[in-house]
Amino acid sequence: MSLLSVSLFREIFTGGIRGGTSIEYAALGESVSERAGVVNLGTEGSMLCGALAAFAIASKTGHPWLGVLAAAIAGGMLATVHAFFVLTRRTNQLATGLVVLFLGLGLTSMFGVAYVQAPAPTFDVVSVPLLSRIPFIGAVVFKQDPLVYLSYVLVPLSWWMIFRSRAGVLLRAAGERSEVLTTHGHRVKPIQYAAVVIGGMFSGVGGAHLSIAYTKSWSENMTQGRGFVAVAVVMFAARQPFKVAAGAYLFGAALAVSPALQSRGQSINQFAFDAIPYVVTILVLVVLGRRRAAQTPEGLSKVFEASTVG
Amino acid sequence: MTAAVTVDLGNASPTQGPTAVAEGSSKLSDRVFGILWMYCALNAAFGIFAIVILFKGVNPVTAYKDMASSTFGSWDSIGDILVRATPIILAALAVSVPARAGMINVGGEGQLLMGGVAGMGVSLAVGDRLPGPLTLVLMVLGAALAGAAWAGLAALLRQLVGISESVTTLLLNYIALDLMFFLIFDRWKDRDGSGQPVTRALPSSERLPIIFGRVHAGILIAVGAALVIGLIFSLTSWGFRLRVVGGNAEAARRSGLKVGVLLVSAMGVGGALAGIGGLTQLAGSEFKLRSGFIAGYGYIGFLASWLGRHRPAYVVLSALLLSAIVIGGDSLQLDSKLPAASVNILMAVTLLMVFGFGRRRAAA
Repeated sequence: MSLLSVSLFREIFTGGIRGGTSIEYAALGESVSERAGVVNLGTEGSMLCGALAAFAIASKTGHPWLGVLAAAIAGGMLATVHAFFVLTRRTNQLATGLVVLFLGLGLTSMFGVAYVQAPAPTFDVVSVPLLSRIPFIGAVVFKQDPLVYLSYVLVPLSWWMIFRSRAGVLLRAAGERSEVLTTHGHRVKPIQYAAVVIGGMFSGVGGAHLSIAYTKSWSENMTQGRGFVAVAVVMFAARQPFKVAAGAYLFGAALAVSPALQSRGQSINQFAFDAIPYVVTILVLVVLGRRRAAQTPEGLSKVFEASTVG
Repeated sequence: MTAAVTVDLGNASPTQGPTAVAEGSSKLSDRVFGILWMYCALNAAFGIFAIVILFKGVNPVTAYKDMASSTFGSWDSIGDILVRATPIILAALAVSVPARAGMINVGGEGQLLMGGVAGMGVSLAVGDRLPGPLTLVLMVLGAALAGAAWAGLAALLRQLVGISESVTTLLLNYIALDLMFFLIFDRWKDRDGSGQPVTRALPSSERLPIIFGRVHAGILIAVGAALVIGLIFSLTSWGFRLRVVGGNAEAARRSGLKVGVLLVSAMGVGGALAGIGGLTQLAGSEFKLRSGFIAGYGYIGFLASWLGRHRPAYVVLSALLLSAIVIGGDSLQLDSKLPAASVNILMAVTLLMVFGFGRRRAAA
């Protein structure tokens, strides 16, 4: 069993964070959106828009951080479409989310052709002084790209925003007991709009991590279901930022197993391993399912339980 | 199409009792208005898409002319609409049946794939030990079972563990895709082929009969399935019970309906239909498994079902419409030099127009 070496685990954990970060951003955003009672399957589309916007702007301007900004704007704009139809036109959330994904897929395919195999400045790994020298943990946690470091800050920050700030109280009230907000003279819809758009912006940044830090390229439909996985992660993490991060890293680690083994000369069928992250996600949902269902915000359980027929 | 219209008349008949009222639009004037509305929504969508392609420097008038002539220009291209609509109709029905019981099946893609995989598996396992048509029958059964199992799994997880089927069905799509890739790159790869990751082709005796041009008998299966589902919805107690569960699951449980069994069976029937859809794609059009085997028909079917408000007759029409739009995408690629996936914009805008600005329904 020399295969199970320390270096293998280091590679899988490092890859887990690297590969999981795009999902982490998207899932953090989706947590905010779901806290306000809106499920957004268009998360996948927002990620695609973010991935392309980041790559295109970074390529045009030479500044990857401008790309990240553009990604947030693009992801937020697509989420605005979802918010408008779901909140103002009262359409079904799940169906609309999927349509919004198609919109994002189409737009990014059309405007992305020019950027397939184009060069762009990307984020490289930056070692944190001192910290990166901690054995094992240093290499896993502190030899990453800048967007990963940003996510380390955003996780506790969004926890604080959701659970400790006034904005968080309003957000959670909008998803749980919107009638209480109304009686206290607050308007529910603007809060929900803001939550959905913020969710889309996070997803956009997640897409940016994918294109200008992880794969360092743009290709059509490059998210490969990561947005859907983000929605699943949010579900089993019960919309709590720290658990969301853990879930995203778990998916990332499952992604990292196959290349890590292959680089050690194990001849394996790649596709059998490609399925692992999705299988793991379902298994975690199964294990945590019951307990989590009870914690679903009231406004949200309606979405999952019944679709209107007719 | 006359067959499909009959379904709808059946739906509006008083056999359904009070629920027929919720179904609405039984009056002719309502229906005419609905069609007019659809026409306006389509025009708006094409207008918006025209603006989008203008940004890419494509002349929308020329693009639409090319799209129209390549989609409706010849019998061959009209046949293509039917060929592509076949898996879309069956995948859409796989959404409509569970939706009647209030469930959301976003797994049509995976269920189509599993149908195709199971069909190929049966063909490979049987070899030439049985006469071709008999093998084909076994393939259909295998595909239906595989699709039903794939969808039923999601329904079981919902019943037993309480996780939303909308998320599990989505994830199962990716697992099905990886399973197919695993098989075509490895176990089932055609050893005598060109080294491409494809299976061997089905022998001609195991293929669906051709009606004309490229149109195969799959379209009859699809429209027939829509007809049968329409009749089941309006005439059988199972169809009625599904509607009760979809209306109010708690009330249904208290009045003694076995809600769990109904939900799982609805999902299973839906999955079986999508499985058969995958098989029609295999045995009618593709003949071998390859990487672009299903190409998003499951997702398009999902949208078709919502566009047709989960009612079989309208679902068939919606599937034909979306199929025509998809074929228009090929023209965008060939004539206007846009990526074929650009057509997703047109499809999405059409659906948003219909969902967002359609008439409010009494039942909604």
